[in-house]
Amino acid sequence: MFKLKVADAKLLRDMATAISILVDEATFQITPEALKLRAMDPSRVAMVDFEWPKTVFEEYICTEPTKMCINIGELLKLLKRAGKDEVVELALDEKTGRLQLKITGKYARNFTMPTLEASEEEVPTPKITFNVRAKATTAGLRQAIEDAELVSDHVRIEADNEKLVFQATGDLMGATIEIKKGSDALLDLEAKEPSKATFSLSYLSEIIKAASATSDIATLEFSTDMPIKLDFQQAKEGKLVFYLAPRIETA
Amino acid sequence: MSNSKPLTVSVNPDIDEAEKILKEAISQHKTVLLVGNCWVRYRGRASSKLEPGERILIIKEDGSLLIHRSVGYEPVNWQPPGCIFHTKTRNGVLEVHAVRLKPSESVQVFFDKIQMVSAMSLKDSGEFALYASEEDMQKALLTEPSLLEEDFKPISYEKKVEPGFVDVYGIDKNGRLVVVEIKRKTAGKEAALQLAKYIEAIKSRTNREVRGVLVAPNIAKDVQRLLETLGLEFKALNPKKCAEILKRAETKRLESFFLEEKPQ
Repeated sequence: MFKLKVADAKLLRDMATAISILVDEATFQITPEALKLRAMDPSRVAMVDFEWPKTVFEEYICTEPTKMCINIGELLKLLKRAGKDEVVELALDEKTGRLQLKITGKYARNFTMPTLEASEEEVPTPKITFNVRAKATTAGLRQAIEDAELVSDHVRIEADNEKLVFQATGDLMGATIEIKKGSDALLDLEAKEPSKATFSLSYLSEIIKAASATSDIATLEFSTDMPIKLDFQQAKEGKLVFYLAPRIETA
Repeated sequence: MSNSKPLTVSVNPDIDEAEKILKEAISQHKTVLLVGNCWVRYRGRASSKLEPGERILIIKEDGSLLIHRSVGYEPVNWQPPGCIFHTKTRNGVLEVHAVRLKPSESVQVFFDKIQMVSAMSLKDSGEFALYASEEDMQKALLTEPSLLEEDFKPISYEKKVEPGFVDVYGIDKNGRLVVVEIKRKTAGKEAALQLAKYIEAIKSRTNREVRGVLVAPNIAKDVQRLLETLGLEFKALNPKKCAEILKRAETKRLESFFLEEKPQ
């Protein structure tokens, strides 16, 4: 049995939007300590690792660890009906197996939606030694990605101890976006060695756009031709981390 | 005699029966398909372990081995051609061991439940050819403009010029405009006439010299004369060459980074 109460519907909606970038059917783990989700997208290129400890919630009751799978698109439709400071309450009706969603603000609304068969897949964490760690504003990252998107569908991210560079090359046009250490968009940059890796812009852009609604500062970690880790720092406790596999050129 | 049978299939065989079919097929260099619940151990340049799950094992007549999961186009474990195979059954578990000596690598696959085993003699002498589409040829030309000629500089592609779109549009080393029309098959008269129309349209808007180049693997003989009459050129370009030029970039899967060491 569980009952989760979130004081601000927008927080939940933004988080669900970020998760929906990668997964349609989301299997959440609800433990007495936290609400968690770890999943890969269907093409298994990207992964989301989400966790909200119970302190994020206004009220958190979970008597035993439970798995719950829901269609996140459907959940979002319901959450879009909730205003900014309205309270959302999630609970499982054990008799019917349906999720109950209660939105309370100016008036009270009760929705129910079906739960799906939970995924049994345990998604491990990629084991990577990261050589670059960059802390940037999500607004700055968004700008860089939007610039790169104008000319190509992929971007090479390069870094040394001086700067973070986004390099995009299209059929005809190219773009180089340089963010120097000490600039407003880049709060911190450490590179054990100069590194570069190329990523699909469609993934990167959707992830950064959606996650920046939940976060102002992100930590990027990567190494040459390895996956990138994007850790979106949350205002309250909790984590939202994405991993994205690189594009590798094969001759 | 089973060794003359081109195809053996057994559904839900017991472990002993599966081993018998497998042994015989390996000794006769047949292609084997084994579907069931298995786990895999790899040791060699790195090492890996795949936990139990339902998978497809393929052993090919050249002694290569592939283990496929239900998703993805790449095998999760594999061994190149020329492996030595051992099979044994212990406590209801069938072990298929594929060893390669140089470099020393071994893959062990353990099955505790087999849904299907099949052995087959496949005849296949066809050749594989890789072809590119017209769009790929266009991309290759943009990536490597010297395919057309030295110092060719593309400016635009799919440029709208009434009555249609020019495939590639650029400048040659003497500063003349070059209009390129691409065909992936033998170019016919229509292609030459189409190109001539584009040239006319562009000439009417500029007083620069304009060249027209028809790019195709080859042209029909009568088209050669037509091209000369129209003052157009022909450049032979093979779609296969274009396919080779286009570097294939693909996004890796995250799973390949789950193992601590570099996966095999």
